[in-house]
Amino acid sequence: MQIDLKNIVPIPLKDKFSKRGSDIWNRELSFSSGEWVKVKAPSGTGKTTFIHILYKLRGDYEGSVCWQRKELRQISGDELASLRQHKLSVVFQDLRLFPNLTARENIELKRVMQAPVCESVMIDEMAERLGITHILQQRAGLCSYGEQQRVAIVRSLMQPFDWLLMDEPFSHLDQDNISRAAALIEEECSKRKAGFLLTDLDEDAHFKYSRFLNL
Amino acid sequence: MLNQLLKKLIRTGSGRTRFILAIVGLSVALLLILSAVQLQSNYNDLLHSKTNQDSIANFLVINKAVTDKTVGATSLTDAEITDLKRQPFVDEMGVLTPSRFKVAAQSISDKIPFYSDIFFESVPDEFIDVKSDDWKWDEHSNFIPMIVPNQFLDMYNFGFATSQDLPQLTQELVKSLPIEIRIKDVIGRVTYYGKVVGFSDRISSVLVPQPFMDWANKEYGTTVSSKASRVVIRTKDPGNPELVGYLKDHGLTTDADKTRFSKYRQVVDTVVTISWFTGAVMLLFALLIFTLFIQLTVASCKEEINLLITLGTAPKQLQRFLMNQFFPPNILIVALTLIVLAVLQLLLKYFLEAQHIYISSFIAASTFVAAVFILAVLWLVNAMTIKKYIAATA
Repeated sequence: MQIDLKNIVPIPLKDKFSKRGSDIWNRELSFSSGEWVKVKAPSGTGKTTFIHILYKLRGDYEGSVCWQRKELRQISGDELASLRQHKLSVVFQDLRLFPNLTARENIELKRVMQAPVCESVMIDEMAERLGITHILQQRAGLCSYGEQQRVAIVRSLMQPFDWLLMDEPFSHLDQDNISRAAALIEEECSKRKAGFLLTDLDEDAHFKYSRFLNL
Repeated sequence: MLNQLLKKLIRTGSGRTRFILAIVGLSVALLLILSAVQLQSNYNDLLHSKTNQDSIANFLVINKAVTDKTVGATSLTDAEITDLKRQPFVDEMGVLTPSRFKVAAQSISDKIPFYSDIFFESVPDEFIDVKSDDWKWDEHSNFIPMIVPNQFLDMYNFGFATSQDLPQLTQELVKSLPIEIRIKDVIGRVTYYGKVVGFSDRISSVLVPQPFMDWANKEYGTTVSSKASRVVIRTKDPGNPELVGYLKDHGLTTDADKTRFSKYRQVVDTVVTISWFTGAVMLLFALLIFTLFIQLTVASCKEEINLLITLGTAPKQLQRFLMNQFFPPNILIVALTLIVLAVLQLLLKYFLEAQHIYISSFIAASTFVAAVFILAVLWLVNAMTIKKYIAATA
């Protein structure tokens, strides 16, 4: 599934962005399916804004975003839900787990939201790999940020997708955990022949990126 | 599985008491509305059915007024009958056939002796208000069934019997009394047995089955075919000014004052109207409470619903989930109300049966249709409210 961006500029940050160069803001560019894209940017330059625009959480921007040549603004309701269930997965920077559900329930929710593509045991396998088996029965609200982040990663891998959007997905993890999570993500993306778009503050070598962009 | 998780996230438990109150309100509303429909249906049944001994439908026996001018010429012409039949207020019309032979009745019993010259009339069966299995006749029958006016028995019991020091008779006793019927023919008398099978308030005449009358008139008829002089009509409203006017214009007259039925009708109408109105108002309030309840639930889970939609839950999925939470109680209420109504109908049937008013043992199809209709309205209001508030939250 191809993503085309045409001169997008977030309206609240318009003045700020127009003064400096960017590989994304106010440019025409497209991502073809299967690309592994790294977006590097310092704090406050709109990484989260960018992810939210792509995921259609906000619409206060100029220009246009097209998913598979369809203008994102025209996708809504059940169609948008279908896109998020089958084509597009996400790891939010602020994680967005349900604090009152257990870690397992948070993951399970995303597994059964559409016709499941993963077996339920996959939750245990992935949890095992990321070292969060012991907190699966714990309420997500009681988990540490690092644990919550890994739960959010596992959750994002429970559904079918063509693109995985990740907004600083490793911000609360140590090197060891990062490499384990990255390995899992890489595996799952390869399995689905899916592309991903990862934003982070610094350079890194967690993945074999096919493209680097500066925001 | 998804539903179990949704159940954990979207708690419909808050404000349970309000929900239960709404359910009680809805039940009462449904009971009132469906009762109104059922009552109306029972009433229509009574108005139109042919099986009621004391039907509320109105039957009028019509004949020419006997005045100085019409003495001896009170028979109705075919043209007059056809014209009457064509009138909008006449639902059905039957001609009363008079006997054309001389006939006398005598008691066989010594204890209750009587002898009288009488006359017979007959009328098509659908105009007869007596149900009896004995009401049939063919040439092999052992006896001639008869229906006599209630007034005859009243006159005997309260006038004749008391003054002549004779025993009073009950309806049952009269029915069991064998009566000798003597028909005079050219050479003498032929004797038959007759039996009273019922008492009627509708036609003040001794009625025999139509087949017997046709046969006897041919067999023993002495006068040449006498024209009909009385007809019976069925009309929805005997107080109809058109009807009254028509009768007056054509020099016709009718028996019985039927205001009793108009009174029934007023009572039924009032009860039905009050029931309808109260039910409708209560339904409206119940719907309002349901709507508020849905709004409250959605508002109290605003964050959860928001995140669910962010994660890709389809509004359709959420609507279906909420519908499954809120709608099934409605189906249950409607079903329960119908059961209660069915029981009430059965009780009413037994109660009225004792008064010789016959209604169906089962609730009417129209009541079911009304129930399904209300259910559809409930479904629609629920679905629309849920859709609206989910869309507003997303």
